[in-house]
Amino acid sequence: MSAKTPATPSRSSTPPPSSPTFGHTELPDEQADALRRATRLEWGTIGFLVVGVTLVYLVMGSSQAMKAAWVEDLLSFIPPVCFLVAVRFARRRPTETHPYGFHRSVGVGHLVAGTALFAMGAFMVVDSGSGLLAAEHPPVGLMEVAGHPVWAGWPMIAAMVLTGIPPVLLGRAKMPLARTLHDRVLHADADMNKADWMTALGSIVGILGIGAGLWWADSAAALFISASILRDGVTNLRVATSALMDSRATTVEGDQPHPLVAELDAALADVPWVVGSGSRVRDLGHVFHVEAFVVARDGRTPTLDQLREVRERLVALDWKIQDLVVSPVEQLPADLLPGAGRTTAESDPP
Amino acid sequence: MVGQRSPRPASRVAVGPVARAAVLVAFGSTLLAGCSGGFPADPEGTLDEVTGGVLRVGVSANPPWTETGVGEPTGLEPTLVEGFAETVDAEVEWTTGGEEDLVGRLEDGELDLVVGGLTAASPWSAQAALTYPYTTSPGRDGKPVAHVMAAPMGENAFLVALESYLLEHQDVQP
Repeated sequence: MSAKTPATPSRSSTPPPSSPTFGHTELPDEQADALRRATRLEWGTIGFLVVGVTLVYLVMGSSQAMKAAWVEDLLSFIPPVCFLVAVRFARRRPTETHPYGFHRSVGVGHLVAGTALFAMGAFMVVDSGSGLLAAEHPPVGLMEVAGHPVWAGWPMIAAMVLTGIPPVLLGRAKMPLARTLHDRVLHADADMNKADWMTALGSIVGILGIGAGLWWADSAAALFISASILRDGVTNLRVATSALMDSRATTVEGDQPHPLVAELDAALADVPWVVGSGSRVRDLGHVFHVEAFVVARDGRTPTLDQLREVRERLVALDWKIQDLVVSPVEQLPADLLPGAGRTTAESDPP
Repeated sequence: MVGQRSPRPASRVAVGPVARAAVLVAFGSTLLAGCSGGFPADPEGTLDEVTGGVLRVGVSANPPWTETGVGEPTGLEPTLVEGFAETVDAEVEWTTGGEEDLVGRLEDGELDLVVGGLTAASPWSAQAALTYPYTTSPGRDGKPVAHVMAAPMGENAFLVALESYLLEHQDVQP
């Protein structure tokens, strides 16, 4: 990833030339390290999934719950692959045809992952729900393990225990990296991994239910697992679509405004010669695109030095802020800054 | 399980899953405690009804596996079925017919078992519980074909009892 080091225009803090980049944004050490670890973890996840999917396929038999768990394992391939592909694209430098860079690849990856989860979840809910309505009685008989006949439910339970634990550890390792990198695909993946134990436990309960002679337990467990896949899909679709629609930048979870937006507005208001200011910030994926508007005291025109100073102040706030435009205006453009009138009045110095 | 599912802060990992796990485990234990009989158990109690009673078997002709004609069916599978019936102290009651008719009766609970030289590739796997293949024999094209019997869906105690018997008699060859 250090192959093509960009010749960046002069910047206050230039990182070592070997540091990885997202577009023309050079990653600080913390993010560069997180990216390396996340990439390793995702490859590890893919490796684990290959083993897990094979193992579950070998023992799943005709249990609906096992089938649901297997499908969820298959779907779990999508986020790591999306992450690895998206990060590869996001590292490209902006080109003439893509002047904003390739950061949106994260949004696209997130949307693809969300759509896949949603479609599969909906299919599985119908599948297991109809199994429950049709009162399908799943047969689970004997299978031979190393020459000994054993009830096929036990190998299924063993496979679920084996495949249920590692994703939880992987998910817990990925979660802080997703926040550090501000990567939604990685976050979605980590969250799914962390919830994987519920799938495994659901399947185990379903199989024990079959063993206890409760035919509906298996379909009910499958329904529970499918519903969780469907909910994953809905949440991811909503967050991914909202980000692609250029909604205000939010945290990686997508549930609240990103704190950096407020910090940015505070930093703008803090500039001594500024009497009015506002900004709009959108999340390109990993990094933000910022348009800031400033009104100078007494209707004067700020000097180029003053404007450069504002730029540097804002860029210094966070690594995610780099693609930044500061426009001096005679008054804040209300059309471009919905709801900004309020903050301007408050930030007006006495 | 993604995104803003629950904005609970620190407790999210620490308490929530453990409580849910406890509920699931408690539910699982109740299931286990609920089955006084064997494990796995039959939802419809087929094994209980057959034991010391009547084993209702459907046969469709497929020599040498099954042969029907005057009197009781003969062939490799009827012999196996008689042997299994002995282990559960049951009398066999034979019904002859075509496969589709017999599988339909199996689904309706009118039969406990269907034999007819069925193989693991049988199209009836959505209607009947096919047993673990108890033997393989060369098929028409010379490739090995796995042979199975058809039990009622989900009657797993019965299925396991039958399969246990079949696994001890895997040397059956036409």
